[in-house]
Amino acid sequence: MSNFSRRNFLNNTWLGLGSLALNDLLAAEAPLAIKPAHLPAKAKRCIFLFMEGGVSQMDLFENKPALVKLAGKQMPKAEGTVGEIATFSAAPNRVIPPIAPIRQHGQSGRWLTDLMPNLAKQVDHLAFIHGIKVDNNNHGPAVYHTLTGNQFPGSASIGAWVNYGLGTENQDLPGFVVLGDPRGATIGGNGVWGNGFLPAAYQGTIFRNGDTPIVDLHRPESITPKQQRDELDLLQWINTRHSAARSNTSELDARIAAYELAFRMQSKAPELVDIKTESEVTRKLYGLDDPTSEAFGRQCLLARRMVERGVRYVLALHGAGGDRWDDHGDVKGRIPKHCKEVDKPVAGLLEDLKNRGLLDETLVVWASEMGRTPFDNNLVTDKPGRDHNQYGLCVWMAGGGVKAGATFGETDELSVRAAGEPIPVRDVHATLLRLLGLDQERLTYLHAGRYKKLTDIGGRVIKEVIA
Amino acid sequence: MWKWSSLVLASLAVSLQAAPLPSVLTAKCLACHSEKTKASEFVVTDLAAIRKGGKKHGAAVIGGHPEKSPLLQMIKGDLAPRMPLGGNLSADEIASVETWIKALPEDKIVSKSDWRWPYEKPVKPAVPTISNPALAHNAIDNFILAKNPAPAPPASKATLARRVYFDLIGLPPNPAELDAFLTDNSPKAYENLIERLLNDPRYGERWGRHWLDLVRYGETSGLEGDGAIGNAWRYRDWVVEAFNQDMPYDRFVLKQLAGGDEHSKTRNNYAPDIQGHIPLGYLRLAPWDRSNLVADEVRQNYLSEVTSTTASVFLGLTVGCARCHDHKYDPIPQKDFYRLQAFFNAIQVENVEVPYKDEEFEQRADAQIKHLQALLKDGPDRKELDKFEAELLPKFRDGRRIAASLRPRNVEDVRLEMRRKDSTLFTRAERLRHAELKEDADRTLDAEEKAALDNYETEMLKRLQAADVEVIAKRFEVLTVEKLRGEIARSTTKIFTPAERERHKELSEKLDTYRRRLGRWQPTALTVKNVPGPPNGPYLAPTHVLTRGDYRQPAEPVEAGFPSAITGKSEPAVIEQDRYRQFPTRGWRLTLAKWIANKDNPLTARVMVNRIWQHHFGTGIVATPSDFGVNGDRPTHPELLDWLSHEFIESGWSIKAMHRLMMNSATYRQSAENPKANDPENKLFSRFSRRRLEAEEIRDGILYLSNRLNLTRGGPSVFPALPADLADFARYGRGGALMWETNADESDMRRRSIYTFQRRSMPLPMMAAFDAPVFSESCDRRSATTTPLQALSLMNGNLVQEESQHLAALLAKEAGEARTAQIRAAFQRILHRQPTPEETDRFAGFPGSLDALCRVLLNSNEFLFVE
Repeated sequence: MSNFSRRNFLNNTWLGLGSLALNDLLAAEAPLAIKPAHLPAKAKRCIFLFMEGGVSQMDLFENKPALVKLAGKQMPKAEGTVGEIATFSAAPNRVIPPIAPIRQHGQSGRWLTDLMPNLAKQVDHLAFIHGIKVDNNNHGPAVYHTLTGNQFPGSASIGAWVNYGLGTENQDLPGFVVLGDPRGATIGGNGVWGNGFLPAAYQGTIFRNGDTPIVDLHRPESITPKQQRDELDLLQWINTRHSAARSNTSELDARIAAYELAFRMQSKAPELVDIKTESEVTRKLYGLDDPTSEAFGRQCLLARRMVERGVRYVLALHGAGGDRWDDHGDVKGRIPKHCKEVDKPVAGLLEDLKNRGLLDETLVVWASEMGRTPFDNNLVTDKPGRDHNQYGLCVWMAGGGVKAGATFGETDELSVRAAGEPIPVRDVHATLLRLLGLDQERLTYLHAGRYKKLTDIGGRVIKEVIA
Repeated sequence: MWKWSSLVLASLAVSLQAAPLPSVLTAKCLACHSEKTKASEFVVTDLAAIRKGGKKHGAAVIGGHPEKSPLLQMIKGDLAPRMPLGGNLSADEIASVETWIKALPEDKIVSKSDWRWPYEKPVKPAVPTISNPALAHNAIDNFILAKNPAPAPPASKATLARRVYFDLIGLPPNPAELDAFLTDNSPKAYENLIERLLNDPRYGERWGRHWLDLVRYGETSGLEGDGAIGNAWRYRDWVVEAFNQDMPYDRFVLKQLAGGDEHSKTRNNYAPDIQGHIPLGYLRLAPWDRSNLVADEVRQNYLSEVTSTTASVFLGLTVGCARCHDHKYDPIPQKDFYRLQAFFNAIQVENVEVPYKDEEFEQRADAQIKHLQALLKDGPDRKELDKFEAELLPKFRDGRRIAASLRPRNVEDVRLEMRRKDSTLFTRAERLRHAELKEDADRTLDAEEKAALDNYETEMLKRLQAADVEVIAKRFEVLTVEKLRGEIARSTTKIFTPAERERHKELSEKLDTYRRRLGRWQPTALTVKNVPGPPNGPYLAPTHVLTRGDYRQPAEPVEAGFPSAITGKSEPAVIEQDRYRQFPTRGWRLTLAKWIANKDNPLTARVMVNRIWQHHFGTGIVATPSDFGVNGDRPTHPELLDWLSHEFIESGWSIKAMHRLMMNSATYRQSAENPKANDPENKLFSRFSRRRLEAEEIRDGILYLSNRLNLTRGGPSVFPALPADLADFARYGRGGALMWETNADESDMRRRSIYTFQRRSMPLPMMAAFDAPVFSESCDRRSATTTPLQALSLMNGNLVQEESQHLAALLAKEAGEARTAQIRAAFQRILHRQPTPEETDRFAGFPGSLDALCRVLLNSNEFLFVE
């Protein structure tokens, strides 16, 4: 390191301000500076686990004896019980029973598939919401709807809103990190973690595989650290002179600070993704010793390392290409595989957060973009599959402020749609924001003639799942 | 339902220190209006809830205005039903509520019916007289100085040159250009510079980009798959050209909404100019969910998008809010949204072949097309693939034969044998019969036909099973190379080795790339047509108001009509059609376009001059350029806006005339520093607003400084290199095709940013970091954020790393070996000024290379900001 330290810079600045004043100035200008929550909250950070493709709620989280009874028979059309069925690719057909036994677990007696034995041990931490309705029955718009509150691209994602509302605790790292599935991109592309109409500073930063997690993080090999520091010192020298000769310089000064942040990020971010330092026990806990669960295990472990270091919002994506939860065929082959890929990692994450005392202040959310139908849509082969069901989404939450063991909402006896009023996705968003101390009505941004909100016309905070 | 006269709160600020609630509310109202009971969704437990109000009347109290508060009106009985139900409050109780509301912090009230200014045709105001006329260069200054008598001093000539270059062409001046301007002492030097830049074709590339932001220009569908939507670039080139030609704005609007929709009032069989299909690309840029199988939903989403975007881009109206309900703030009822949408109802989404108009470009395209066709027909890659496939074919046939000998013979074997002309097993008649049955079954998908085929094949299979192996082994000779391609693409193939598969994939992908490139050069335009209508098809289906915007819930039918807020009436528009109604589906869009592109429309000219103003002065006179509604900002200088809109129309809707007018004002030529004015947000335009360069200006500017910007204009979009492993994220689920192509020519990576392929799901990281918009929604203002990722991008990214080397080489050539001379040249080229002695010393003492010095200057605030 050179003799040019940040403190020297701040104290000896040409602006003639003390370090405190300048820090304040920078904070005022820095979009990601910490902002007070609207409301008291336990959860300070959020890990959002997104299962792309449409998770089958009745195979994983719901007990529906009627499906066993009707197995292989034509889906009934009983008025009032089944209601409107939105199909995507096939008309209602023969009923597929749950592919594996579902049992009650833990003190809360939650129903959970045998395919998730590790999650079963954590089940008392979870609060479930059943019968959530999404605005569209196709993946693209539904993914946008669950992750940005609007089925059309162009809106701000949840993580962007949260960073806009709260800022982030660690200025050396991005406030909103995206951990992609190494098998490929998500269906909506980068827009599902975009800033939309919010300023670009709030967009999610993709952490890539390998040791350059952020684009352009590393200085080129041709430049030594000393050389780069020298360049930076010269840059700051000329920038400070430039600023001193001008008025209304907050933007200019913010950029001076941003270069120092970037310089620090270069050393902080690689440390963040270096999981070699984790113990064998921890690695096993996340399923890193098993090739099936290794990939998502790594994502979950990274998620923990991030919230530990004050990253505000982490989006971990599971499923890509043909390998997502879009089980139109061969449910018996595919769903157990997906479950095995995520069971240990997710359970490990909850356990690890708990052991480190982080679970109380970290909100963990499991979601998908839709549910699936109880009936087969694949009559061509003998490997039945389930269709899209925009009325059947199941979400669970755990951690900070969540009422462990709670359940809210219920689907009808065939798991077609909510037995009572469907729960719009915006209610889940309102709840998520509330758990993080944000009031959906106050978290607004004026755009195109409206005070835009994540929850659009406003959702209901689901108090039933809040402790 | 609210009425026009109902009130809306413009200020939602809630003071928490308000007086305690009147006790009467708890005593008399709580039974029905508690959190639990919540009658009419109204709760009286706290001020916030009361302000939120119930479902019927909205906010129950309006601070400071008891007479306008529904709560008071209802307890007084002015608003039915009188509350509390079945009992009256005493006068004292009513008075306590009244006093309480009066004491609440005052809410600003805007009546919907009061919000008239943007909807009324502007009257050209007189130019104000000012006390210091010497400071004014033209009338704009009179309007500005009338509000701020203390303008900033004029900017220096060098500062001004840099400002004008970036503003008009998005690039810095080069040293020779700067020098020419600085040494030109004629009084017309500045005007001449503006004139020269307005005639520079790079002007259209800069101002066309502003327009593309507005029309959410993208080249992929967005959403699932995010595949290319077609040759959107032809629309992009049209826009650039329209700016360069200074196409009158009214015509520019008309073409984008109604090109190809024209008819002749007098002539039969009038065919609109086919070139009119190119600007209609505007109507195709909406994101499109192509994997959605619900056709009605896709169509409705498309029409909604086009309706809202058109209203916000051309009229500054946020009608999108009215898709699901009446606009909460502006006088736009839900019905008006669908009346507006009805103008687009005749659209048939379809591409059209539109020949290239420009001969030079046509030659360029033809050369490319011929070249690519040749490559596909018998180029080296094609030959290599053919050769490779020819080599593989025997192995493939052998593999199939061996596999077949290990399993019982099946129907596939029958089919293969049937295709053999020299079959000794089946007669010619049998082969013909089989071909006929199979053709029928495949064509009709009919169960009976299928059964007939099955029967026949079963019978023949028996014969085949009985036949000798040697007799039928030959059947595999009919396997073609197409079948081979199917087999080798299968990851489970047992015939081909992974190395063979890999090699085959690599060769085929090369040819696929040529095919896609060919498609991009072919003259197909992304556009729309009208549905045929009688006599060739049915009349247009009626447009309905959709309850909650849901395509499954049509309510009352509506006819095409203009927004009632502007016209003051909600009668259907008279659709302008040809005399004989020979083309009954033509003219809908034209009617709307003519109403918008009209000097009598109160919004069109104002909205556009305000956009031009915004790009020159940093902020619009209305700071929310696509929202002239209640929620938008008030104009800071309403008279100036109206005066400019008249000037605009009088100039023949000339955008270049507006540039001249604005840039020749003293207001534009001010310095960025004004010690005399107290105007922190610069609402009075009392100085030049310093602005950070936009993403394109940074990238193009750096390439231009190193003399490496490829200034080729127009044509299919290009693909600058992606950071290495970001390609993972460019790969899409289905098929896993890579959606970021390489360019045929390396120098294509160094074209201006406007020519970069705009993939909706994946903007270039550097561009996204510097606030390039998400191309899915209209973007009327770029933000200018400051983040460490931007710093990383310019410190470590390829662009600056590479270009600083080229730049250093250039400077070394120009300035020679001496470091101080190099430093002078670097400052001159990058910052457009000489270094101070202190700077020369500090830079000369710097231990690093000239590359490093260039990097420092390219990262400096002085380079990244225009002032």
